Amino acid sequence: MISHDAIKKTFAPLVAAGIIATPAAAFAADGTVTIGMLSAFTGAFASFGQLQKEGAVLALEQRDYKVAGKTIKIIYADDQLDNELAVTKAKQLVEQDKVDVITGLVSGDEGLSVGAYMKDKNIPVVPMYSASEDSTMREWYSFIVRPTWTGAQPMDVFGYWLAKVKGLKKIYMIGEDYSYPYNQAGGFKRGFLRGGGVEVKTIWHAVPTSDYSSIIASIPLGGKYDAVLYNGAGSDAVAFVKQYVEFGMQNRIPLFGQSNTFEKPDLDSMPQEIVGAYSAHLTADDLNTPNWNKFRDAFKKRWNHSPSAASEFAYGSMELILRAIEARKGDVADKAALVAAMRSVDMSDEPRGPVKLDDYNAAIENVYIRQVALGSDGVMYNKGLFTAKNVSQFGPYDPKVYMKQPADGRTNPPDLRVEMPPEMLQVARDYEFVPFGK
Amino acid sequence: MTRSVVQRDTLRGAKLIGAVAVVVALVTLPAYGDQYTLTTFIRTIYFGFLALSVGFLLGQGGMISLTQTAFFGISGYVVGLLGAERGVPFPIPELAGLALVAVTAFLFGLIVMRTHGIVLLMLTLALGQICWSFARQNTSVLHGWAGIRGIQPPSVLGLDLTQNATFYWMSLVIFGLGLLLLWRLVESPFGLALNGIRESPRRMSALGYPVFWLRVTAFVIAALYAGVGGILAAWSSGIVTPTALQLSRTIWILLIVILGGARYFWGPVLGAVIAVWLDVIISQLTPRYNTVIGIVFVVVILVAPNGILGVWERISAKRRRFREVAENEHAEALSTAPKARRRLSRAEED
Repeated sequence: MISHDAIKKTFAPLVAAGIIATPAAAFAADGTVTIGMLSAFTGAFASFGQLQKEGAVLALEQRDYKVAGKTIKIIYADDQLDNELAVTKAKQLVEQDKVDVITGLVSGDEGLSVGAYMKDKNIPVVPMYSASEDSTMREWYSFIVRPTWTGAQPMDVFGYWLAKVKGLKKIYMIGEDYSYPYNQAGGFKRGFLRGGGVEVKTIWHAVPTSDYSSIIASIPLGGKYDAVLYNGAGSDAVAFVKQYVEFGMQNRIPLFGQSNTFEKPDLDSMPQEIVGAYSAHLTADDLNTPNWNKFRDAFKKRWNHSPSAASEFAYGSMELILRAIEARKGDVADKAALVAAMRSVDMSDEPRGPVKLDDYNAAIENVYIRQVALGSDGVMYNKGLFTAKNVSQFGPYDPKVYMKQPADGRTNPPDLRVEMPPEMLQVARDYEFVPFGK
Repeated sequence: MTRSVVQRDTLRGAKLIGAVAVVVALVTLPAYGDQYTLTTFIRTIYFGFLALSVGFLLGQGGMISLTQTAFFGISGYVVGLLGAERGVPFPIPELAGLALVAVTAFLFGLIVMRTHGIVLLMLTLALGQICWSFARQNTSVLHGWAGIRGIQPPSVLGLDLTQNATFYWMSLVIFGLGLLLLWRLVESPFGLALNGIRESPRRMSALGYPVFWLRVTAFVIAALYAGVGGILAAWSSGIVTPTALQLSRTIWILLIVILGGARYFWGPVLGAVIAVWLDVIISQLTPRYNTVIGIVFVVVILVAPNGILGVWERISAKRRRFREVAENEHAEALSTAPKARRRLSRAEED
């Protein structure tokens, strides 16, 4: 009798091990295509992760989760913005869920980490908001398709516009110390110094930071710089902008932002003193094209708020995936053919503006110069001013020349025009700005 | 009397059979478990090393340290910096990583091991946070938030460690050796001295034990366990980032150890198995998985402060006592009933 108990006691862990050793392995049934969406649904970027999910879900719901007779099964995996966890969750999607496509990815480092793991897996990776340019440049491989953006892409245009059109010479830039702001800073410096600017002084702070008083207090005044550019987003941006206004700085030296600084919904938490601040992105809140309006109305109806860039990017990326599956008539077994189908999908009706893919599967698209404006309803929004059309991730540069430069980092490209490599200051043909909406 | 000896023998036999069965089940796992099961067991093993590190200090030495994740991170960073970035061949980066862990732990130990209780907790917290901040803010060498990518497991003795199954077996062997070594250590005079320090450092000091140096030694040994876990983690995930060192990870490991039962040798291992699998299973069921796991931790710690193994021991002790009492009552007939009752009440007092 007793030995029976003892056996039970010693076998209990074994039985438990047996149960957990066979988790519900998802075997893709014939009529199913499985898409894994790996993103930061919790953690510091939870708001971007959520906006992204809303856009992707809208695209799926519009097709009732069915494409070419196949049912689309989507599996969400949360990496909490932890790169080690992102790789672990990617393993889960690949090994256990046997996904046909991986998408999602909100931050730059997340995209690079997951990209490095996925390199030999022969499964298409479609980053949505992750903007480190090296995913589609120096660390690119043919299974990465990014129909959205790189950090430098809108900022090169922005910098060039501020120098060439607005005539600014010196910018004081304060940025978050990680890869995506490096890439945004890199694009900005190239554009600004090429357009005739003299200096972009860069200061970096750790992520996250809540108290900016010492950083703001050390901004040189008295005409040394023409403007301050805050190169950060999310809760950092809200805290920085609030404190900037509390110190009364906006009356002394104008404030600009990087692409995400004034994005909704963060903009709603900022003081109205910042109306007039410039930024550049691939969407604007007052886009008024039939494609955008259709998307915006559907999005508002489904989620009861306006879409932001992260939602639109997710919607467009998911559309690209679904259209490629459609073009393959539901056959996703040949992953290389699926990627080829993604490359040839027509994305000219993308809500934010037409999108084409370059040789590295990265988007060529419109960049919008925007200004924070106050709507008639008393709510701030990003009003489009000018459009630069068909901007590639290489900006106006020759891809070969561009890729020869070291990857963007804390100290490169240099802050000063005189230290910039000459080949980066001259291009055959630079941007043309057309009034927004033309 | 003879009967209880027989019982003990059958118990020991059953335990042996059970242990062998668990080992066989674990070794043959690649034959019947899917790829992700292997990945999760690998993850369990590297966090298991970290849990052993925390559990050894807490359970054997009565020291709560919040620096152990830093050692986990340090060895991973060295492997990434030397191996992945500079191409230094195996085993130099790994040994260098462990050496740096040992040196760091020794220096930290010199600072913190003179203190006890809450002061020790705060000092180890501070040191752990310093390491984390350094990793996060040093962008020139450690690449800040981005960390180091592209770490590959080495090829040793012609084994292809990029294969999940091979890597799993290798981790399992290392973990087995680690457990064996730790078991010998716990049972050794050193382990007993450490237990003595846990109970009363002053008395041990009066007995002539070099309390401070024993504690420093224990701290270095525990750090090396965390370091080995860090190397396995870096090989397996291919990256090392500041999140490997962050406070939430430290607290998670501490909870794992308490969940399993800090006082018990197998407590940290059991805790790691449960916590890692709980994460995998619950996160597939609900997006609010962090809340669910948090509630599980809170409930376990409220209901069972000695962890799951503590509950297990309490239940089996009660059963044993109940049986003893029943046997005595049976043997000693009605006339000696009061004696049995006395026994019962004494047993309850225990």
